[in-house]
Amino acid sequence: MHIQTQLETTKPHLGEIATLLRGDVEKTAAWSESGDARRVALQIAVIIAGAGCYGAAMGWWRDPRQALFTAIKFPLIILLTTIGNALINAMLAPLLGLNLPFRQTFAAILMSFAAAAAILGAFSPLIAFLVWNAPPMSPQAVSESAYSLIKLAHVAVIAFAGTTGNTRLFQLLARLGGSRAVALRVLFAWLAGNLFLGSQLSWILRPFIGSPALPLEFFRATALHGNFYENVFHSFLQILND
Amino acid sequence: MNEPTPVPPVMQTASPLPAPAPPSLHEPRPLGDPAERAPISNTFVAIEAILRHPRRLLFQMRQPGAGKLIAAMISASLICGLIYGVVVGTFSGGTQLWIAPVKIAMGLLISAAICLPSLYIFACLSGSQARLVEVCGLLAGLLLLMTLLLIGFAPVAWIFSESTESPAWMGTLHLIFWLVATVFGLRFMKAGFSHANARSQAGINVWIVIFLLVALQMTTALRPILGKSESFFPAEKKFFIGHWGDCLKSAPEKSKGASPN
Repeated sequence: MHIQTQLETTKPHLGEIATLLRGDVEKTAAWSESGDARRVALQIAVIIAGAGCYGAAMGWWRDPRQALFTAIKFPLIILLTTIGNALINAMLAPLLGLNLPFRQTFAAILMSFAAAAAILGAFSPLIAFLVWNAPPMSPQAVSESAYSLIKLAHVAVIAFAGTTGNTRLFQLLARLGGSRAVALRVLFAWLAGNLFLGSQLSWILRPFIGSPALPLEFFRATALHGNFYENVFHSFLQILND
Repeated sequence: MNEPTPVPPVMQTASPLPAPAPPSLHEPRPLGDPAERAPISNTFVAIEAILRHPRRLLFQMRQPGAGKLIAAMISASLICGLIYGVVVGTFSGGTQLWIAPVKIAMGLLISAAICLPSLYIFACLSGSQARLVEVCGLLAGLLLLMTLLLIGFAPVAWIFSESTESPAWMGTLHLIFWLVATVFGLRFMKAGFSHANARSQAGINVWIVIFLLVALQMTTALRPILGKSESFFPAEKKFFIGHWGDCLKSAPEKSKGASPN
């Protein structure tokens, strides 16, 4: 029997993001169980705002319009990955030993993405500052060192946000399932699926920074031609042939 | 007068208990806990049970009148196979939107029917006490879990169908999804046999290899499932390895990929 606790009935508010980041698993476990639609909406809003701001900072280097495009596309990848894998993730959890209902698996994944998006959002002013200080991108010349620095900064920030989000997810799964081994199994299965779909969605929604030599556009004309893994495979073959 | 010091109300924090872990499929204790005795009234309950409480399904398969449950499971797996088939058909579109689902559902059913007798023989050889109806039930469970997981993969498969032009690549992707789904289905089936007092899993393991080979050959016997064709069945007989080799050789150059920029 579920006891309606005070925490479960608390109205969701923005301050809850701090709880997510702190990894207060007692509270996040209660939230995942309560299935409050307003809390889900809040987390989606955080993903849109956080990843959107980061996307804007990322695209700004190329052009303000690219900033707008990337601000739309970045949260879209996160949300589409969550939705696209929701069913298989919910099926894999009980099969791997974690008996959670669909609503709870969805909430757990959404919370981890919300935590990651909050981190991305927090880093977006820093990235914007970095971009503002970088030499402008033009078709004639792109400073190699500036490009490398910005690329590395993105890798570091996104890796940090992703790692934190997944650590929080692992802690939550371990709390919900009562076993670290089961939580690890489920986390790896979910990660594999999310990375697999997320990579392809990123490929379809490219560009994010945008090459100055190519026209500014929301989708490339070749967005739906080929896929991420084919491209990686052909690049690998090219290296072997060269 | 000593007023009693008011005790501040204790703030009750939410402490949801960990979700009750489903008893492991391979748990040695015999089936038949009170929770496992709850009857499975319809297909949706059977779907829920195979995902969350597989031991309940295993128990119900041993009860009198399990035939109805097994029929419901087979029907559900056929419907799931048809749904996944539509997603497979979106790669080529047109007539493949109905041909692919029919071939996939038909292929699953025929593969299971071909392999059922050998499964029963191997079950008996391994010392299992499972009756034929139970063996049918375990096979139906394998099909149901496999097709359910394929439905779970369907959104991902559809996204790739829309963005990939290489049948070889899409074929590989569908095979990977099928393989993952089959691993979970086989795990369920093996657990069922271990509860039926099978002395050894060796016979079942041999059967698994046979089943995988039959299912893979079925994809070639019923080709094309992904691509288009003039006729419903292929004119030329081939083994699946030879067919895959031919597919890879004829993979179009255009799939060499767009620029990553």
